[in-house]
Amino acid sequence: MPISERDETHLPKWTKWLDLSDRALAVLLLAPAALLLSLIIVYPVARLIYTSFFSLSLTSGLPAEFIGLENFALMIDDPVFWETLWNTVLITIITVPGALIVGMALALLANLPFATQWPVRLSLLIPWALPLSFAGLIFAWFFHSQYGVVNDVLVRLGFEGIIWFNSPNWAFAAICLTIIWKTSSFMALMILAGLQTIPRSLYEAADVDGAGRIRQFFEITLPLLKPSIVVALIFRTITALQTFDIPFMMTAGGPGTSTATLAMYIHQNTVSFLDLGYGSALAVVMFALSMAVTAVYLRIIRAKD
Amino acid sequence: MNSKSLKGLALCASILGFSIPAHAADTELKIFVSSQHHPEVWRKTFDQYEARTPGVKITIEPGGNTSEAQAQYLNTVMSAKDTTLDVLMLDVIRPAQYAAAGWTSEFQAKDIEKFLPTYTEANTVDKKVVAVPAFADAMFLYYRKDLLDKYGVQPPKTWDELAAAAKKITEGEGRPDLQGLSFQGKAIEGAVCTFLLPYWSQGKTLVENGKLNFDHAAAVKSLSLWKSFVDNGVAKKNISEVATDDTRKEFQAGNVVFAINWSYGWSSFQGKDSAVVGKVDVARLPAVAGGDQATCLGGWEFGVSAYSKHQEEAKKFVGYISSPEVSKYMAVNGALLPTYADLYTDADVVKAAPWFANALPVVETAKARPVTPRYNEVSETIRTTVNAVLAGVTSPEEGATQIEARLKRILR
Repeated sequence: MPISERDETHLPKWTKWLDLSDRALAVLLLAPAALLLSLIIVYPVARLIYTSFFSLSLTSGLPAEFIGLENFALMIDDPVFWETLWNTVLITIITVPGALIVGMALALLANLPFATQWPVRLSLLIPWALPLSFAGLIFAWFFHSQYGVVNDVLVRLGFEGIIWFNSPNWAFAAICLTIIWKTSSFMALMILAGLQTIPRSLYEAADVDGAGRIRQFFEITLPLLKPSIVVALIFRTITALQTFDIPFMMTAGGPGTSTATLAMYIHQNTVSFLDLGYGSALAVVMFALSMAVTAVYLRIIRAKD
Repeated sequence: MNSKSLKGLALCASILGFSIPAHAADTELKIFVSSQHHPEVWRKTFDQYEARTPGVKITIEPGGNTSEAQAQYLNTVMSAKDTTLDVLMLDVIRPAQYAAAGWTSEFQAKDIEKFLPTYTEANTVDKKVVAVPAFADAMFLYYRKDLLDKYGVQPPKTWDELAAAAKKITEGEGRPDLQGLSFQGKAIEGAVCTFLLPYWSQGKTLVENGKLNFDHAAAVKSLSLWKSFVDNGVAKKNISEVATDDTRKEFQAGNVVFAINWSYGWSSFQGKDSAVVGKVDVARLPAVAGGDQATCLGGWEFGVSAYSKHQEEAKKFVGYISSPEVSKYMAVNGALLPTYADLYTDADVVKAAPWFANALPVVETAKARPVTPRYNEVSETIRTTVNAVLAGVTSPEEGATQIEARLKRILR
């Protein structure tokens, strides 16, 4: 008997509500997650964009006033905005590939058949588990011009000590080194997980065929690692665009504003200056930047499928 | 009215009678106290107030160790209109901003008249009294009496004299770790004063009636002066890394001839961890050639939160903790400078801190940093520029132009 001809008259009427189509069921099951996401993501982002069109400074004592795109116009004339934006992009360009290369090396090292695995794994985890601000503080002391270990080593090797945080370039270098140290272990963990999914038999086959170690790396390891690398890169790039803690603790943006990032400038405008309108407009720019980068990566992944 | 209802009334009255004092005992005032200014000594004065005001209980909410940390915390709490804090102890640069944001409630004009006039001025915005002073402070020139005597040098009256004296002493001593002058070059609040000292000394003001009154030439001269100290070796090369407490530590370790710092340095320099006990004296900060000696006004103020549910009680409490009695107690036991002129010569105060007698003219002539609701932005602009100039990233000329351009935007 076809389903459509089924006699439903003997069932109570309310059971009709239980007989959901697949689509309705899907909507019902997704609703809690969608509701939660809209509360914690959609609403704040929408509110942020809304606030960016207002002049809203708590220190002015004036009520919020709709000013259209004026905050964004101010931004174009604001040299500090451009400087912090450029610094952010530069940190991303330097530290993302840096962390990838170091992380890859660490992952390959950790993947070697050690007799006891846990000390290697643990030492990989520690930088990742350390809070960012602690890492910033620790490295600020490492690079201290008088009491720091880096200058101590330099002097012992016969070089002259560097006043790291006195020059924009050295300060920038110190920050990038710290970020690479801090984030490469996350990269390594992601890549290590990928490495362990590669079947050993592929390497054995390559050995039989006479392929050397380097050839094996480029022909087997790298292509099979691509998905793990892309995912790791997405996460790393987005966190690089939001860099805040490490420069905040190490240089607080100095000397001058030469190592300040966009996230620090947003924090300064909203938390220190209480200028929520301008701060929101800056945050909208950062949001757009993160979205754009994610879109590019997602495109790369999709192209591979 | 029969006897029964009378009895009932009496019963009600007695219940009410008991319950009113019991209810009043619940008035709990919470005061936000900066952690670096001896909360434990303040506590003793709060105990006094509790003892003489039955029904009021005071609890302390400790703030952070720096003015910046406290401001960050208070910005969040006050934006959230938190009702739990009643009284706030605020760095002198904050009351104007908090009043503009509507975070503090106004005092009456008579509450402020009895204090040192500099504080009356610093706590009055548009003729409204926004806070009352807790204790005074100013920047001083600390110097090594023993070294100045050894080389027959008088305490300098001008910055040029200071540079010459520093050169003479550091060269004579021949110790590579001895610095001529230590001041604040890191991008912190202290660097704002660093910029303003020689600027003010040229008779210029930064803000007049809420409007920018910037003198470009004076600003260039101020920034050039500090940069020249770095270039001539009067100050150390990494002065752009030096914060207020670094100056204190280095002077205390005996590695500095002249140091610019707040009054808190004195008790550390005479403390048991100090290498310079009995070798230190204090003077007014020097002037630029042909200018007046000028210094930066510090100190902390009491404000009453606009969101406090105990406005009357909180103001009464502030009345007590800002009284001459408490100011004297804090001077004697906490080494905090008094907010009343006559206390500087008070026998007990002078006995506890002999140098306070010389501090009065400094505090009396100290200048307040710009009183504006957007002070944080003004401060940020000045301190990052001073830092950039000292690090050699920006020239004094460019620095002055940058400060002017940014301040114009902030104080438009």
